[in-house]
Amino acid sequence: MSEEQSGGIARYRPFGLLAELTYRCPLHCPYCSNPVQVQPTSAELSTIEWQRVIREASELGVLHLLFSGGEPLLRKDLPELVACAHEQGMYTNLITSGLGLTRSRAQTLRDMGLESVQISFQADQTEQADALAGTPAHARKLAAARLVRELNLPLTINVVLHRANLDRLEEMIALAEQLDAQRLELAHTQYLGWAFENREALLPTRAQVERADRVAAAAQTRLRGKMEVLYVLPDYYSDRPKPCMHGWGRRYIAVNPAGDVLPCQTAAIIPDLHFANVRQHPLAWIWHTSPAFQRFRGTAWMPEPCQSCALREIDFGGCRCQAFLLTGDASRTDPVCALSADHQQLQESIAQIQRAEPEQVQSLRMRQNPVCEPRRVSSILPPDCTALLNRKESAI
Amino acid sequence: MSQAFLQRLRTARPRLVAKARLQVDRVNGEPVLLYPEGVVLLNATGEAILQLCDGTRAFPDVLACLAAVYHTPATQLEDDVSTYLLKLHRQSLIELLEIGEEP
Repeated sequence: MSEEQSGGIARYRPFGLLAELTYRCPLHCPYCSNPVQVQPTSAELSTIEWQRVIREASELGVLHLLFSGGEPLLRKDLPELVACAHEQGMYTNLITSGLGLTRSRAQTLRDMGLESVQISFQADQTEQADALAGTPAHARKLAAARLVRELNLPLTINVVLHRANLDRLEEMIALAEQLDAQRLELAHTQYLGWAFENREALLPTRAQVERADRVAAAAQTRLRGKMEVLYVLPDYYSDRPKPCMHGWGRRYIAVNPAGDVLPCQTAAIIPDLHFANVRQHPLAWIWHTSPAFQRFRGTAWMPEPCQSCALREIDFGGCRCQAFLLTGDASRTDPVCALSADHQQLQESIAQIQRAEPEQVQSLRMRQNPVCEPRRVSSILPPDCTALLNRKESAI
Repeated sequence: MSQAFLQRLRTARPRLVAKARLQVDRVNGEPVLLYPEGVVLLNATGEAILQLCDGTRAFPDVLACLAAVYHTPATQLEDDVSTYLLKLHRQSLIELLEIGEEP
């Protein structure tokens, strides 16, 4: 969520609410941000509970409702939830795989007040895209994207970038133009959740990233005023961390399918945090007072080198989940930062991944649905894609 | 880019893109501009400018309306308003309709 300030606004005020309506999804993308742990689907919030959450979010100042998942279209009550957010004056965004977006469904959603649709694409070519999605999805996504534009809804195309698709960035940009997208999100994989499990197979080479940076920058210039191109940098290759969520508990709330409220959708991996649930507490109490939202809010929690750093309110110390995954301690400086004591170790581990032998990176762990046990899948990638993964890389 | 935009702006009709809309922030009563996954917090002047950018008015007419509201000569407003619209154009939030182009 981008934000631009021109006046006084509360220091901690949520602008966006990510409503993860369900973890069920027809796709199996190996970089999914949903929890790796199996979650029961029986605990999903009801329509009435979600409507209460939406109204409470609006009272808190939330301006954007982001309906996501899993696949939010799997919830039959999505039109009612869109209508509820629309009545509150919120801008309503649907973040979808596109699967299940029939003409009548899309028309109903638009009539209920849906204002924009974001569709994920795995690649520009059917074979590779379907392999990455773990299901034949690409053709249906193309149809859904065309339908969105036919209904005059603004379209965002989202592509998660990694080693296997990064060399076709120009083609993916061309696809977004061809589909008449108003916005294109080119997002390097964030190595959290499923992506962390698969980082050996997903992490691009530095040479790939440098080329992609140039391609994205050229597209931003060329398309300025026509299509907004957002390029999310690969932070493993940066020396400053990303301003994760624009600060913990500052501008953003995520509510998961069971009603747990988190400062970001992946924060549940941090073991010593207890996330309050909307079934037990009002959203305002959770936002303002609950311990989990207080834990990394502001700058008082920060260790050195963050505590005395001039950038501490620019990057907020980076990503708490990443700090936990890489160091075992969520309160350390994000190891991506060159000033972090853990930075050298991260660099070494990236170099080690780059040197990995092909047989070590062939197996991708595909995201499984909540009711299934995760399993390992080998050789899911089509020949051209496997070739990419097998290519021996020089150390960075 | 900026020169070309400013050149075109002189005769074109600026319009807020379809994906963006104005809204009153219920927390503080201030105007905001909402668009897919983004927010621009506005002040009263920003809101006044954007309300006039509906694709029906040529830029000189937008300036004339603002001049009347703010009791300031249009020539004095032109630079600030152009810069403001350029900034929003760069964010793909303002488009220009040429003479004869249907709104």
